[in-house]
Formats: sequence, structure tokens, C-alpha cells
Amino acid sequence: MRSNKLGWMLLAPTLVILGLFGVVPFIYVLWVSFHQWNPFAANPEMIANGADNFRQLVFDTGFLSSLSVTLAFVFFAVTSELILGYALAQAFMKDFPGKAFFRTIHTLPLIMAPIIVGSIWKLMTTPSIGIIPDLLDSWFGYDLNIGQSAVAAFVTTVVMDIWHWTPLVTLSLIAALVALPADPFEQAQIDGASKRQIFWHITLPMIRPAIVATVFIRLMDALRVVDEVLMLTGGGPGSATRYIGVHIFREVFPRTNYGYGSAVSVVVLYITILVCWLLYVGLIAPRNNKA
Amino acid sequence: MSIGYRISASALALGLAASAAFAQTDDFWRQAGAQFEGVTLHGVTESTPPSNYIKDVLAPQFTELTGINVEIETTSWDQMYDKAIKDMEAGTGIYDMVYIEQDIIYSYLSRDFLVNISQALADKPELKAPNFDEANFTTFADYFRDEDGGLYGIPMEAFIKLYLYRTDLFADPEVQAAFKEQFGRDLAPAKTHEEYTQIAEFFTKLGQDRGEDLWGTTAQAHTGHPASWYEYVESVAPTFGVYNWGINAENNFAATVENGGSMNSPEAKEALRWWLHLRDIAPPESSASTWSETATTFAAGRVAQGLIYGENAAWIASDENQSRVVGNVGVALPPVAEGVMEAAESGEGYIGYYDGGAFGIPVSSQNQDAAVLFAQFIAQPEVQAQWAVAAPRITVSSTYDAPEVQELNTSLGGYFDLLRDQGKLFAGAPPFPFHAQLREAISPIFYQILTGDIEPDAGLDQMAAKTEEELTALGYRK
Repeated sequence: MRSNKLGWMLLAPTLVILGLFGVVPFIYVLWVSFHQWNPFAANPEMIANGADNFRQLVFDTGFLSSLSVTLAFVFFAVTSELILGYALAQAFMKDFPGKAFFRTIHTLPLIMAPIIVGSIWKLMTTPSIGIIPDLLDSWFGYDLNIGQSAVAAFVTTVVMDIWHWTPLVTLSLIAALVALPADPFEQAQIDGASKRQIFWHITLPMIRPAIVATVFIRLMDALRVVDEVLMLTGGGPGSATRYIGVHIFREVFPRTNYGYGSAVSVVVLYITILVCWLLYVGLIAPRNNKA
Repeated sequence: MSIGYRISASALALGLAASAAFAQTDDFWRQAGAQFEGVTLHGVTESTPPSNYIKDVLAPQFTELTGINVEIETTSWDQMYDKAIKDMEAGTGIYDMVYIEQDIIYSYLSRDFLVNISQALADKPELKAPNFDEANFTTFADYFRDEDGGLYGIPMEAFIKLYLYRTDLFADPEVQAAFKEQFGRDLAPAKTHEEYTQIAEFFTKLGQDRGEDLWGTTAQAHTGHPASWYEYVESVAPTFGVYNWGINAENNFAATVENGGSMNSPEAKEALRWWLHLRDIAPPESSASTWSETATTFAAGRVAQGLIYGENAAWIASDENQSRVVGNVGVALPPVAEGVMEAAESGEGYIGYYDGGAFGIPVSSQNQDAAVLFAQFIAQPEVQAQWAVAAPRITVSSTYDAPEVQELNTSLGGYFDLLRDQGKLFAGAPPFPFHAQLREAISPIFYQILTGDIEPDAGLDQMAAKTEEELTALGYRK
């Protein structure tokens, strides 16, 4: 009983902070989402409107388009980061000259604020000024204009995200690979397993918890991407890169459409939880069931 | 008594009188500030040259005289509004002064966010500085008054968006001869849209022929930033006679032609098609250009002409560290359609955007009286000339005649003369309390027009319909 009290006392600061900065704002947003509220409307007061906001967003082409490009962005960005991150982690597991230097350089994007990443990529991709359009034109005769081409803008935002976040995946997987015991690998080699067999049947299952954790983190981050995309494309051209975070930002801040923006936020939170749950069901649950 | 002696004596007398006046005002600031000693005023504003001058020069001077500390936060346009609106909406009182861009004043007034400075000074005459007089301001101050004449913001910057052109290119005999041969007229700043198009096409082709990075015009045509929307509604459409974004406030905020608006009128459609053509022959970076980038494009010597915000005119024309066209910048009025100039001169229309902003005091401020002092401090005629030289803005009429301003006016190709004499032809944003709300609702359609996903005429029809729908949802259209 005494230790129980002590436990709660030690937990209390965390619970208070979590409650103040996590639970209370969430409840507030949930409450606002059931209201019509725009402080610059003719009637600036909050007016309860039941589930109207949620009903409205089902038919909102802007929201649906935003959601679909976001899911595409998440898929391409996170998948690429996972594959590239694993390849880099394997590379850094081996010794080669300048390894420490390259490992440091490769983690530099991680320490940059997203807004700075967006600025850098804007400078690098602006037609006539940026180095990337210049090189693509010189080497391949390709005219990169992310202000005009929806595909180019989408791909550029994915590449920017990969550049920014692959190091996180690499570091997580390096940590997992370093911690692997040598015995199973030696045993497999003695038994004559090929590299592919070792990868599929030993390495991958053993680092799966690290992969899942990393994918969870990246998935949630990618779903709420705002700053760097806002800086790079503003959500354009048209609505090609108006990802859901950018959509919510525009609804809530410049448009001050607090009620509807809150409803969109709640739905996006639900979608995030749903996607993570699907991932859990797909990757973790079967393994637990087998056990 | 010789003339020289009389002039010297007069100068001495004037100098002494001025010194006495300065001493008197200095005394006022010291005495008025004494009661607020230790107070720190917090302001938030957009990071622009005029705001930076307040932060770096005027605020320290004010602190030295009054003992009142001033912390000015300069940030991006979006962040500035985000912070100011959140603070005033919640009534937290973090900020004692906020920047009010001309187009948002109506939203702020509709929410009673701001202190009526005229009333505050009438209620507490002991706070009124001897050299503060609302009559000192240019007519731009009228944008910050309510219908009773109360002043809600101290104007601190004012510009017109004007037509800049390269005097070196326009005066080049070889270029002039080629232009005359092609069009049968002299090369001169355009007065009509057709002339402007001809000049733009001519220089874009000249750049191609010569293999130079030269184009005929700027275009503020970002495909995902409101700057493009603003260029169209504030700088292009009015020159075709489409005013107030094409919304008829007197007719139930109608936007569609069928309901009495003009957002999708034939003139509006012609304006949009004209501008889109210019965008197509502008430098490739135009699709990523906001108001800042068009200025940079002009300063880099990449265009022969363009519509540029006046706040950039000074550094483009005079700062060799930032501009390659120093000494080669001319200013003119934008080209207009037939009848538009006459409408502007009679006060029934306008030919472009009169941009600017003011410092206002939120009613949520905990230090309103000290803020009123600071507001008057930055409005003093004595500080205006140096401020205008550092950032080409004029909000107090007497500033035009200051010798240093006259000197700068010459190097700017007569920009200040244009502002003083022709400023009346330009207008600020329409008095709508729903600027950002409406813009965000319809700009996605506008961006799709820019990317070619929607035809311009159909796009304007959609925008007009969406405008009425949005204004109905906001409760302004019945």
C-alpha cells in the first residue's frame, strides 16, 4: 500500500503535465469540433451544431483530396526511408575509412528544424536560382518547376522528407543491429544458410520491434507534416501538396474556421490511430499469437 | 543690415526655436514616462524595414527618454497575425502594440480588438505629446479610423504598388530602334494593357535572342501562396475596372454578375487572361514568387518591367549590396483600361493598391497608457525623415519636404513625388471584415486556375459562386 502511494506520488508530475498539455487540449478540441465557430463571422460566438462539421467533411472535396495526397505521401516517404535507412544501417555496421565522419554528416539533417529544411529545399528547387533544377537541366534536359508541376512538387516533398528523416531510421536500426547476438548468425552460417535466408529468417524477425517502433514514429510524423511543406510549396501547385497538416493549418489559422478545423483534426487523429492499429495488427499481433 | 546677416540671424533664431521645441518635447517624454518607469511594452510586427527601424532606432530612443522599455518582436507575416490574433482573441494581454495591416483593420474593428487612440488622448490629455497632431498624417491614416473619425492605429508605413521599369533598357538606342521598328511607336512606359503586353513580349524575346536571362515582366504568381491572389485582385483587376475584389458590398455582398457583383464579369475575365499571359512570359521562378521574390527578380536585373510593392523600391534603386539595377530604375503608374483613370481621378475607382500598416493598441493590453505614449513617439514629425530614408515609407505629410527625403526621391526616380501626387489614385483593401476567411475559401480555386487545372473563365465563375456561398455561411450575405 505504501509503495503504491509512493508510485502515484512519483507519477503525479507526469500525469499532471500529460493532463494539462495532452488531455485537456484534446477534450477542448473535441468540444470545439461540435460547434460552428469563426471569430470573424457576422456572429463570432460559438454555436453548437452537433455533428454538422463531421457530416460536412465527408463531402468536402478539399479535405478528401488532402487526405488522399497525405496517405500517398506517407506511403512513399516512410517506405523509402525504411529501405534506405536499413541499407545505410547495414553499411555503417561495416568498417570503412571515414566511417565516423560519414555517420556524423549523414545525421546532420536530423538536427535541423523543419522550417529550415523547407527553406533550404526552396532555395535549392526554385527555378532559375536553385541548384537542383540547374543540374537536372544540364544533365538530363529536365525542366524542374515545382511551382507548375504537381508531380514534381509531390516528389520533391517526398525526397525532402526522406533527406530529413532517413537518418532517424538509420540510427534506430543501427542500435537494433548492434544489439543482435552473434550466436544465431554463426549457427546459420555453419548450417549453410544464404545471406537472403539469414536476412529473412534471422535478422528481420529479430529487429522487427525496432522496425515497428521506427515506422510508428515516422508514420505519425509524416501524417502531420506541415512546416517544411508550407515553406517549400505552400501546399501547391494548386492543392498537389496540400497535405492534411497544411489543410488544417489553413482552416484553423488564416481562415479562423475553428469549429470545422477542430473536426478535421479529430478525424485525422482517428485516422492516425487507425493506421497504427492496422500496422500493429499486421506486424505485431500475428507474432504474439504464434508465441 | 546685409541680406547675409539677416539670413544668418533668421537661421539662428529658427535653430534656437527648434532647439527650444525639442527641449520642450524631450521634457514632455521624460515627465510623461516617469510614471511608467520600469514598465516593458511588448509589440509584435512583421519583419519589414520600417518595423526594424522602430525596433532598432525608435524604441531605444523612446526608452532613453522615458525609461519605458520596449521589446518589439519582428516575425513573418503569418506568424505576426497568428500571434496577435490569438492574443487579442484570448485577451491574454501579452502584446501592448500590434501591427495592423490596412486590410485587416476592418476585422479587428468588428471584434473591438483595438483602443481608440483619439478617445484615449481625449480622456487623458496629460498623455498627449505637444508635437502629436492627427492632422499631421497623410490621408492614409483615414483607413485606420472608424466612421466617427476615431483613430485606431498610428500609420507607420504606406506604399503604393507601382510600375517599375529599367531606365537603362528603355533608353538603350539599339533597343529603342528595334522596338520602334516592330511596333511603330517609341519605347516608353506602358499606359495601356496592350502596350504593357507588347513591351513584355518584346523584352522576353530579346532575352531569348540574346541568350540573356532577361524577361519582359514580373509576375507574382505563386501557385500555393496568397500573394498571387492579391496581385490579381488588388493590382490587376482594378486596372480593368473591377474593384473591391468584384464584391458588391452595397448589394448584399454579391460576387456573381447575375446577383450584381463583378468577380466573374467580362472585365474580370479579361484581366485574368491578360495576367496569365504575362505570367507565361515572365521568368520561370514566377510560379514560386510572392511579393518578396518579384522584387528580388527585378533587383537581379532579370526583368525589364513589373508591378512591385513600393516598400522594395528604395533598396532596388539604391542598395548595391542587394541590387544589380541601382540607378536604372524608373517609376510610373500602372497601365489601365479605358475609363479607369477617369474613374480613379473622380474617386469612383482606383488603379492599384495602396499598401501599408499601422501600430495599434489592443484593448487587452495591460499598459495602454504607456503604449499610447509610444504610439505618439513614432508619429512625431521630427523622426519621420530619417525613418523614410531607412525605409521608403511616408505617413506624415511634412516628411515629403525634408531635404534627405527629397534627395532619396531623386535616386528613386521620383517615387515619393508619385506617392504624394498620385497616391490618391490608389486604394487600400476594401472594408471587409472577412479578408483572410474569404481568401482562404476561394484561393484553392485560384491556384487551380494558375496550374491550368481549371479554365480561367470557369474558375472565376466558381470563385464568384464560392464567394457568395462562403459569405452566406459567415453570415454577411443574407
